[in-house]
Order: sequence, then C-alpha cells, then structure tokens
Amino acid sequence: MARSLIARSFVAFVACLAAASAASDAWQGDQNAGSLQFVATQAGAKFTGGFRKFTVRFDFDPAGTAGGSLDVTVDLDSADTADAERDEILKGAEFFRSDRHPQARFHASRFRRQGEHWRADGELTLRGITQPVSVLFTVDGQPRQLGMKGTATLRRLDFGVGQGEWATTEWIGDEVEVRFDLELNPADTTP
Amino acid sequence: MPVRNTAERYGSVAQILHWAVVALLIVQITLGKIADELPVGLDKLVTLARHKSFGITILGLAAIRLLWRLFNRPPPLPPMPAWQRAIANVNHAALYAILFAMPLSGWLMSSAHNFPVSWFGLAQLPDLVAPDAGLAHDLEDLHESMANILLFLIGLHVLGALKHQFIDRDGLLWRMLPWRAR
Repeated sequence: MARSLIARSFVAFVACLAAASAASDAWQGDQNAGSLQFVATQAGAKFTGGFRKFTVRFDFDPAGTAGGSLDVTVDLDSADTADAERDEILKGAEFFRSDRHPQARFHASRFRRQGEHWRADGELTLRGITQPVSVLFTVDGQPRQLGMKGTATLRRLDFGVGQGEWATTEWIGDEVEVRFDLELNPADTTP
Repeated sequence: MPVRNTAERYGSVAQILHWAVVALLIVQITLGKIADELPVGLDKLVTLARHKSFGITILGLAAIRLLWRLFNRPPPLPPMPAWQRAIANVNHAALYAILFAMPLSGWLMSSAHNFPVSWFGLAQLPDLVAPDAGLAHDLEDLHESMANILLFLIGLHVLGALKHQFIDRDGLLWRMLPWRAR
C-alpha cells in the first residue's frame, strides 16, 4: 500500500516535470530588440539594408519536445538602405508594393536541430505571395532574455520583388540573405 | 620602340599607359555625363557600375604609371623658358594627383551611398567609409568639381603639347607617339 503510494507519487512527480519541461516559453521583441537586415547584390556588389519596424513572437521549447511557433511581421515601409532614392524604389510598385502589401509575414511552427543550429521551416508572405522559407538560428538563453541570431536565404523573384527591368538577375541578384540578431524579452502572458 | 624611356622619348610601357588612360578618361567622362542625366532606374545603375569599374581600372593604371615613372625617369623636356617648365611640371603633378583623387573620391562616395563598388562584377572592393547620406552628398559635389578641374588640366596639357608641336616645332609630341620623328 505504502509502496504503491510512493510509486504513484513518483509517477505524478515525473509527469509534472515532463509537463513543465514540455511547456514552451514565449518571447517577444521588436526593432528595439536588435537588428533585422538583408544583404542583396547590386551590380555584383553586396550591400546591407535593414528594417526599422518589425515584431517578433517566439514560442520556443529548447528541449524540442513541445511545439512552438515563430512569427515575424515586418513593416516594409521601414526598409532602410541608407539611400533615399533606393528606399523609395524598394517601397514602390516594382519591388515591395508596400501600398498594397504593407507587411511581410513569416510563420513557422516546426523546429528541428541541424548541427549547431535550429532550423525553422516556415512560410514567408511577401508582396501577396507565400513561399516556403527556412530560417537557421541559434538561441542563447539568459534568465530574462533570449538571444536569437540567424539567417534565411530567399529568392526575391519567387515573391515578384523586382518587376519589369528590375527582374534582371545580371544586375540585381536573385538571392537575398536575411540576417537577424535579437535579444527577446518574455512575452506578455496574455496571448 | 624601346620598352623603357630613353633620353629622346617615352618607351612603349609609358606610352601604352598614357594612351590607355586617355581612352579610359574619355569613356569615364562620357559615362559620368550620361549617368548624371539618366533618371533613377536600371540604366543608371548599369551606367554607374561601369563608370566605377573603369574608374578603379584608372586607379590601378595610375599606380602602375607612377611606379614605372619613379623607376624609369621620363625624357627631359626640350629647351623652354623656366616658367613654362614650371607650369608643365606642376600640371603633370596635378594630373597624377587627380588620377588618384578622382577614383578615390568616387569609391568613397559609393561607400557613403551604400552602393559598394564591384570591379566588373569580378571582385567587390571594401567600403572605405560607413554609409552616410550627408557625406555622400558632399563627396558627390567634390567628385563633380574635380571632374571640372581634371578637364581644365587636360586642356592645359593638350594646349601645351600642341603649342610645342606646331608653334615651337620642337617635336615634343613625338616623344609620346610610336612613330619616328621626321
């Protein structure tokens, strides 16, 4: 009887532990949490630009046993390449068409280990087109913050970014690398 | 024609470098003017990319010319008044200086604009300064002013050469040409 009670208590304790560890932690951040940049190629030269307004919501279980999700929303009008003329073209009809599609959204709900990194296979919606995009990242857990750093490579023409004469890949590379380096804070408990 | 300079004339290396830079400068001034007139668009991007590639080529040729000149003195100038000699020497020095200053200011301007330089799509050059719109604007003004100074110096250089050739008839121009003086 006593033995059975101990056994049952133990099972309950382990179940509690498992439940606790399986719970993913919720993190969030915006442009104040770090940088979200892109590296594009123009006339054979790589240049870096960034977004000045975006939000990140990251539900993550480092043990990898629970689900989780990564949601990033980017205000395309906040694109900044340190050149006003280029920024205007980027926001315009031939690139982001931000008047019709003001935001780009990334959503992923599958995370898996890939060597030193985590890999999130998700979907990016940009300029009204949704395509699969994978994000490779590392996390650096601290008591009250979560460092998150990574990259994703996408093809701009998959999303119709660069219409007409800008569709050339001879002068404007198709591949664009997205880089982020963030320090996320615990999310509000109310989802 | 000898490879090295002689007491009478420039050798083939100096001549090839001189005329290659002349040809590239004509291309550069043309591309620069075209780019300046073009509206923002792909044509402007392509024109400026070529302008940058040729400009970096001139920078490389200028460095080779200067080194070649240091180890291989040019033929002495024909007899002329001291003031003309002084102007010729100052003008040559200024032309060399601007052959470096023009591409360097263009390269700086590209870095400040966050439009890094690629040499004909083969190699990307490092940025010399961080992106800075204000600095980019100032460098653009400097680059344009220097282009006008360059045109003035070239004009002086050509007028001087033609004066010697056709008024003084001292055969100065033959020193920079592959044909034999008559």
